Amino acid sequence: MKNSKEINRREFLTAAGAAAVSVPYLIPSGVLAARGRVGANERITTAHIGVGGRGRGLLREVKKFREAGSVNIAAVCDIDKERLDRAVAEAGEGTDAYHDYRHILLRKDIDAVVIGTPDHWHGLNVVHAAETGKHIYCEKPACCTIEEGKAMVAAARKNKVAVQIGSQGRSQPEAYLAHRYLVNGNIGHISRVDCFHYPSPEDKNPVPDSEPPAGLDWDMWLGPLRWRPYNQRYCHGVFRWLLESGGGQIRDRGAHVMSCAMWWMGADGTGPVTVEATGTAPKQGLWDSAVLMDVTYTFKNPDWVMTWRQMPNDKLPKAEKRTPDELNSEIRKISRPGYGAIYRGDKGEFIHWGGDGGTWAERKARNWKPPAGAKDVYKSPGHFEDWFKCIKTGEKTIMNMEAAAGVANLCVLGNLSYVLGRKLEWDQAKQTIVGDKQAERMMSRPQRHPYHL
Amino acid sequence: MSTNHLKKASLAAGAVATVTTTARAARGRNRGVNRLINKLKSSDAETRTEAWQSAGDIGALAVHPLALVMTDDDLEVARAAKRAMWKIVRHTGRPGAIRARIAVVNKLCGLLGADQPVSVRREVLWMLSEIGGTRAINPIAELLSDEHLREDARMALERIPIKGAVQALKAGFEKAPEQFKPNMAQSLRKRGVKVEGYPCQKLVPTK
Repeated sequence: MKNSKEINRREFLTAAGAAAVSVPYLIPSGVLAARGRVGANERITTAHIGVGGRGRGLLREVKKFREAGSVNIAAVCDIDKERLDRAVAEAGEGTDAYHDYRHILLRKDIDAVVIGTPDHWHGLNVVHAAETGKHIYCEKPACCTIEEGKAMVAAARKNKVAVQIGSQGRSQPEAYLAHRYLVNGNIGHISRVDCFHYPSPEDKNPVPDSEPPAGLDWDMWLGPLRWRPYNQRYCHGVFRWLLESGGGQIRDRGAHVMSCAMWWMGADGTGPVTVEATGTAPKQGLWDSAVLMDVTYTFKNPDWVMTWRQMPNDKLPKAEKRTPDELNSEIRKISRPGYGAIYRGDKGEFIHWGGDGGTWAERKARNWKPPAGAKDVYKSPGHFEDWFKCIKTGEKTIMNMEAAAGVANLCVLGNLSYVLGRKLEWDQAKQTIVGDKQAERMMSRPQRHPYHL
Repeated sequence: MSTNHLKKASLAAGAVATVTTTARAARGRNRGVNRLINKLKSSDAETRTEAWQSAGDIGALAVHPLALVMTDDDLEVARAAKRAMWKIVRHTGRPGAIRARIAVVNKLCGLLGADQPVSVRREVLWMLSEIGGTRAINPIAELLSDEHLREDARMALERIPIKGAVQALKAGFEKAPEQFKPNMAQSLRKRGVKVEGYPCQKLVPTK
């Protein structure tokens, strides 16, 4: 949001004219609030960039806040016409539609953007939105390369915007219970966290490259990636299974499960000293992320180890059964609890399942009653609520840019070690791989003009 | 027989032995390449996958034969060949493998000519972006004038962290047609070079 002096005549007329219809809906919050902050009682004006798939889910979530009176939805944007039309219908009258997100960034009446684009766009969207003064909610994983993460952190800091990355597991009610249970020493000193996940899929129906469907801007879908022809198996949704875009389960769900681990271990802002990965490759098709995977992250000072394992379904830890009264509207049933982490301490173990929209803590953490003098931890009011609060207060979000880049780096480094077939050394202070020139080059990826950081 | 004659005879015998050993090793390596190619062309997905995953050690000798298979009519065979080539690039990029890397880079540079399909040349440019050094600069820079490949060539040069790459980008900028100068300016700025004109376009809506 901007100072009212920065609103030009056209924007003022637009706002004033429409205000006759709906005053709270169209007055930009910046008109009423202090520079750089949305007023405590003002609506936050959002725009949505990428509104298919998960982006559509985010739009639906934000609509609930609009209905509650805390948000205006000013615009939606997508490079797929079908998805854009659907989002316009979903958002309702008065919402502007854009093909190119940069139109949104130029609008001074928009305070914040909600980004649900494919992963390879996150770095650019976040940096560009920060540079134009927008607060940002962006889907996880934060970034696809180490360089993107660094640029995102720098842009968020420089422009003093509130960034929330969508590793919403941190904001789940049971994440709070798990966190509180662990920091109070219930399983003693934790020296190992073993994350588990079911395998990345193999493409059972590979198809040749073809012309993109009408209505899809393939050039802009690719954005910063090197050009390649359109392929049905490399687009909406399934981009997750390609290393250059989604990065497979480790980057998709690792950004959830390892996010909880880094937070609960008090390890945000730290990083491993070595990363070593092995994995099995798909036997056919375009998708190239590891099907099964085994990654070991070694941390020093304090010393601990985290592992990420994609394993066959029959090897996964069985989820703890829940009684019907242990489920309520707040605790959603996890449809497929095939991922989570085992925390190994010197006095016992603890498991959580999920880590994204659903996070289940083992019963012993849910039933634990904190004694007098027990440590408490931050309890998020909800992932969006936490973001909205931080937009207004200037505080750090629960999954802020630094923390999110740190978690994404783990995922990126795991994949790099896998494709290179060797152990990597990481210098957290310098944010660089050391002693491996090829791996150092691969920390960044040249970007197509004009889609660059 | 004099001592000198003995020495000469001994050296000659040694040379013959060396040549024989080298030839035998070369035949062995060629057999390794042939085996790799045959397995990549297998109709069995498992065999193809095992083959491309084991390609790293074979190195430079396999580069040109693999390039031929990268455009095979069978998509899965072509894909396996491409992955084998990448495996070689990733393996030879390991710390300490300087000779192996140079040998692979030289072979890759030999695939940038107009006799190769655009799809192969594009892939090779990205391979060189990871392991290419001084020797790769000129062959890559020549493609800055190729309408189909100049964007990939620009990005490859941008990634190679040596001064020669920056010099090539500067020279390419001077020669570039007007519509490609903003692309070149993007790379030069990324490499810390101040560029007059051609302002950054990243926040300018175009669609």
